[in-house]
Amino acid sequence: MTQPQDGSISKKLRTAGIFIIVSLLVQAFSLVWNHPLAFVAFLLVGGILLLIGLGLYVWVLLFPVVHPAAPSPKK
Amino acid sequence: MPTAVVLVLLAMAVALVALIVARPEITVARGGKILGFLALFVFPAFAGILGFQNHMDRSKQTSFCLTCHLMEPYGKSLYVDDSSYLPAAHFQNSRIPRENACFTCHTSYTMYGTARDKMRGLVHLYKYYIGHPNNPIRLYEPFNNRECLHCHAGARSFEQGAVHTADAQTMADIKSNKLSCVSSGCHDTIHNVAQQNKVKFWKPVQ
Repeated sequence: MTQPQDGSISKKLRTAGIFIIVSLLVQAFSLVWNHPLAFVAFLLVGGILLLIGLGLYVWVLLFPVVHPAAPSPKK
Repeated sequence: MPTAVVLVLLAMAVALVALIVARPEITVARGGKILGFLALFVFPAFAGILGFQNHMDRSKQTSFCLTCHLMEPYGKSLYVDDSSYLPAAHFQNSRIPRENACFTCHTSYTMYGTARDKMRGLVHLYKYYIGHPNNPIRLYEPFNNRECLHCHAGARSFEQGAVHTADAQTMADIKSNKLSCVSSGCHDTIHNVAQQNKVKFWKPVQ
């Protein structure tokens, strides 16, 4: 059985995903641009965004925020 | 790896990440967690490594070096119609791969030589766009025979050349970099860009 996902985890996963998507798009753009500045864009912009995205995802994996469960209704 | 393949992998990675962004709740189930790990970590990291490798390979290309205007006369010197011009003789006779001509002679054949050269390349970019590049450009340090011997060591023309073997000390000095190949009066006509308006140029057959 799986537990429903915490809203804050979904939000962090989304944020990590957006960082990663932007970084991958920057990397793709840099690969079709044959210029030394493309390497800089790849390394500094794409690389840093990718590290932020991956780091955020690993953070969510290692330290998931667990809110205290709501009190169950008394029988 | 070809650029097209890396681009396809990047597109696949983007599609997978977009799926997680659109529906993060699918990562609740065990299968979804694995998919999330693949989409948000494995594929992007793998695509990043491949992209980096692709950029490193491209940065070794002659055309890459010649995108900088300061390098244009040096690229032109590869076509000088005079066999005493060392780079031209190497380039025109395919002694070095033409597509990687600059890198082949100007990298350092040491363990971290390529990485150090690329770091220097970033410094060059900084100087070119923000700082003040040296004009004419200069080598950081005298050309090391190691770069020549990377190919020529063991070659008959080098090992049994009349001048190289004139006495035992000459060969020892060449191999220990005490006697420079390019600045000891032997193979000392290099790019020589200052004299470029006085020479003829070779036109390769298309």
